[in-house]
Amino acid sequence: MNIVRLPEAREWMIWAGIVIVASIVFMAVFAPFIAPYDPTEMTNDILKPPSLKHIMGTDNLGRDIFSRVVYGSRVVLEVVFSATLFSMAIGVPLGLISGYFGGKLDRVLSMVMDSIYAFPSLILAIAIAAMLGPSVFNAIIAIAVVYVPTYYRMTRGQTLSLKSALFVEAAKTIGAGDFRIIRKHILPNVLPTILVVFTLCVADAILTEAGLSFLGFIVSAPTPDWGFDLSAGRPYLPAGYWWLITFPGLMVMLLALGFALIGEGLSERYLRREI
Amino acid sequence: MGSLKEYIIMRALLVIPTVFILLTLVFFILRILPGDPIVAMLGQKVPPEVLEKLRAELGLNKPIWEQYIDYLSHVIRGDLGRSMIWGRRPVIEEIMDRFPATLELTIFSFAISVFLGITTGSIAAFRRGSKIDTGMRLYSIIAYTLFIPWFGMLLQMLFGVYLDLLPIGGRIDPGLEPPHITGLYVLDSILTMHWRSLESALAHLILPSLTLGIVLSGAYTRLVRNNLIEVLNQDFIRAYRARGVRNRKIAFHAMKNAFIPIITLMGLQFAILLAGAVLTETTFSWPGIGTFLLERIQYRDYTSVQGVIVFYALFVAMISLIVDVIYALLDPRVRY
Amino acid sequence: MPDKRLSVLLLALALILAGCAAEKKVSEKTTPKPSKEIVIGVTDKITELDPANAYDFYTWEVLNNIMGGLMRYKPGTTQLEPYLAESYEIKNNGTVYIFHLRKDLKFADGTPCTAYDVVRSIKRVMKIQGDPSWLVTDFVKDVKALDKYTVEFDLKKPVSYFLALVATPPYFPVSPKYDPDKIDPDQTAGGVGPYRIVKWVRDQELILEANPYFFEKPKTDRIVIRFYKDATTLRLALQRGDVDIAWRTLSPVDIMTLKKDPNVKVYEVPGAFIRYLVLNLNMSPTNNKLVRQAIAYAINRTDIAERVYMGTVEPLYSLIPKGMWSHLDVFKKYGDGNIEKARELLKKAGYDEHHKLKLVLWWTPTHYGDTEKDLAQVIKEQLEKTGVIEVQLKSAEWSTFVDYERKGVMMMSLLGWYPDYLDPDDYMTPFLKSGSNKWLGNGYSNPKMDEILEKAATTTDIKERTKLYEEAQKILAEDVPIIPLVQGKLFVVAKKNIKGIELDPTMILRYWTLEKIEQ
Repeated sequence: MNIVRLPEAREWMIWAGIVIVASIVFMAVFAPFIAPYDPTEMTNDILKPPSLKHIMGTDNLGRDIFSRVVYGSRVVLEVVFSATLFSMAIGVPLGLISGYFGGKLDRVLSMVMDSIYAFPSLILAIAIAAMLGPSVFNAIIAIAVVYVPTYYRMTRGQTLSLKSALFVEAAKTIGAGDFRIIRKHILPNVLPTILVVFTLCVADAILTEAGLSFLGFIVSAPTPDWGFDLSAGRPYLPAGYWWLITFPGLMVMLLALGFALIGEGLSERYLRREI
Repeated sequence: MGSLKEYIIMRALLVIPTVFILLTLVFFILRILPGDPIVAMLGQKVPPEVLEKLRAELGLNKPIWEQYIDYLSHVIRGDLGRSMIWGRRPVIEEIMDRFPATLELTIFSFAISVFLGITTGSIAAFRRGSKIDTGMRLYSIIAYTLFIPWFGMLLQMLFGVYLDLLPIGGRIDPGLEPPHITGLYVLDSILTMHWRSLESALAHLILPSLTLGIVLSGAYTRLVRNNLIEVLNQDFIRAYRARGVRNRKIAFHAMKNAFIPIITLMGLQFAILLAGAVLTETTFSWPGIGTFLLERIQYRDYTSVQGVIVFYALFVAMISLIVDVIYALLDPRVRY
Repeated sequence: MPDKRLSVLLLALALILAGCAAEKKVSEKTTPKPSKEIVIGVTDKITELDPANAYDFYTWEVLNNIMGGLMRYKPGTTQLEPYLAESYEIKNNGTVYIFHLRKDLKFADGTPCTAYDVVRSIKRVMKIQGDPSWLVTDFVKDVKALDKYTVEFDLKKPVSYFLALVATPPYFPVSPKYDPDKIDPDQTAGGVGPYRIVKWVRDQELILEANPYFFEKPKTDRIVIRFYKDATTLRLALQRGDVDIAWRTLSPVDIMTLKKDPNVKVYEVPGAFIRYLVLNLNMSPTNNKLVRQAIAYAINRTDIAERVYMGTVEPLYSLIPKGMWSHLDVFKKYGDGNIEKARELLKKAGYDEHHKLKLVLWWTPTHYGDTEKDLAQVIKEQLEKTGVIEVQLKSAEWSTFVDYERKGVMMMSLLGWYPDYLDPDDYMTPFLKSGSNKWLGNGYSNPKMDEILEKAATTTDIKERTKLYEEAQKILAEDVPIIPLVQGKLFVVAKKNIKGIELDPTMILRYWTLEKIEQ
């Protein structure tokens, strides 16, 4: 049995992930320079398969799919980053307070968070997004709600174990205030975990975003968005127009894969798991 | 065993706040946006006075707090109310019409994902650090990041359109439904010996359960791999190895010991399975609870949407309770 | 270990053998297929079988086959004829209708159906107050049986299209088995019609057989309706031969594919379903008539029919659909995609390249199918082609959309209309008569229009009515509160050996005229 560790594996994963994510972010930022056509411009080239003129083909209204894929990255990134940062901004402080002070507040918060956490996340996001109405802002809220408990539970758990650590006890004996201890001693130690949770959350949130978008709860035509374009191409699938769905879906997977690779690598590096 | 009973009762009681919180959330969110089921169904056609009358009939003209308390008092008595559109059938009936479809899909997907997860996970663990291990780990990450509708459509395209081997939507060829016993077509057709129904039901199941199964297997690969590795590092395995016990026997013991925590973790994945089922159902026009939820959300059928959320919450809670009990029974060290 | 494996193997073998044996049995039992059976596949669903509450097209079709009204549309036409009634009389300036029933009416279980049953059924609808009950309660003051075979309706005021109303399901007599006070969604007893239900499994299968007590014998004894989950699966089932007829609703792509298939025949007729664009007259800039007319100039209907619907709809130039009496192509005067004229009018209204006309167009996903987003985008493109219009697209999910519509907060919105009764009135009054068009929220009101429509609704002379509706349509094209876009076509795709498919704008497939020629 080979028990020698390959230290390159995790580094390799992190770097592969970073390259994928960076190229997609680059694509989103410089979309106007990369996309050969206006993503909403309709032409008479209807349902044309990939060719030199349209490298990913055209859709049923004669729009260039490659250009739509390039611009489509913007909505995903916007929604996913805003949502996960939003849930971090709520989940982490609540977790710190809850874990540090304990008591009734902790019990109530934990119960609420656990109920949300236990519920199938996508279904909750669908319910919220559908009820609030389709818009980018509402989608951000729906996705943010879903990931708050993840941050909360992780932070609370870490805080609980750090609370009784020696250096925290020491800080207490020299009379440091509670919030100072949280800020100076606990938070910095929780940060690496938060980073890992963040990348994994982003990977998951990309799939949630794509799911919501696929079901029509985020953008409205003609805005290009991967999930939405995937569902728009769906009726043409049985007639054999494969290029309408292949490329937008591939991008969803690549972006999620990028973050998942980073998250996996980081969790090995920071969480010192026996792997 | 008395303490186990107590534990189960306590866990069951804890389900109540969970359901309550979710229900409250959904109840109020549902009513934020303008529009209600009456308007959605009849808004175009019916004179305003009639609309008002229908609203009053469903209690939609009462203050929202009153509606909330009314609804809660019914739910406590186990009454999910009646749907507000299309025949106003009892919500529980509507749900039970569709639940077997979702259950059948989840069972098959779960089986596929467990099979794939255990196979790939144990291969990775026993070949830890090798290229095969890296390959399996990559498989686990990629499987997890496959976007269900996309992956499902690729399978539809390949097996349904190009090869024309398998159906791409629905649960069974209409007209072949076996007599209703459990509502699970595969089981019912075996019980009643309707073999053509069985064939059709299985054919319809393959693509959706493969889609969901493969996507979920990624998480299991990781679970199995990490747990097995942990067990393999434990003292008793080292001891076996030192005594020169054969590899196959070691593997058997390691698997047995890694199995218990894996069950619990698989239980935790159940919520993910249900969420994935919603997208799978949509992609394959599978007539389950997920498609029902999406359909009724559109028409703001309040009672049905609330009912589905309650049902999901109870279902998830029940599964995790069952998993806990199994865990307690299997592992003698756990005592409550 | 090995013995266990063997036992599993044996078990599997036993199961397979049992399977083969059983399969043989099943197939032996079912091979002599009843020659008089037609299988119809649909993707629609039956919401409920109670005419007191059912209010959707497909369910109404089924009700039309298992029940009947005093009047009906002659198959293949939009003309009314007596059905369960032998004759009728109109009295007191059109406020009293008297129907003389046939004397051989029987429900599906053989119980006779008399005037008392007709009265009971209609009173039941009025009492339950289900979704379509307004079709009765808005018009009928009282209904009574004068004797065993005579029914009298007293109307609140003269209604010129009352005979068309009587042909709708809320007026159908139903079996006494229906719950007298409550909606009875799963009741299969039916009424007096050519078929009766022998089996119904919700969302899966409906089996009908000829009602032996009915006075007209259907061409085919047994009709099986199978409910498919999506259009593609239905299309494949037809091509595989699992169904004889594929009916509502195949997608444009599927119809395109089937037109190329030599083994099936595609039937198409204009349907009574229309799509239109609502313009808000209470909101700037659509309160300006010049702007509205400019929009009417810029819209290109043939382009919409081709690009969005792949030819599965046809252009519509009035609110009254083609094929219905009094239809006039009043919007033809604006042409299609007449950009020059549109620019000219907008210039008059004060808009040009530097000061563009800004419009907001609302649409709703899912309710009108996959093509809706394409429709919105194509209209945006057509308007922007003028170079002086800028369109912002907004969407809202159906229930919100309808609510916004009533509140009049949308500048332009895309809607559709299925008729309740086939009369020009149902395409004019709800949209154009102030008071009746409140749900549209666009604030259109023209006293002249109101007067014409009121008169047309209470006159019984068809020539006089035709003239009135023609005049109303001309006013519509001048005022442009609504721009008609397209009219749906009906598609039935059937195997070549199926005969007797008679389609008409009622959009109801009559199962009793269908026939299968065995080859």
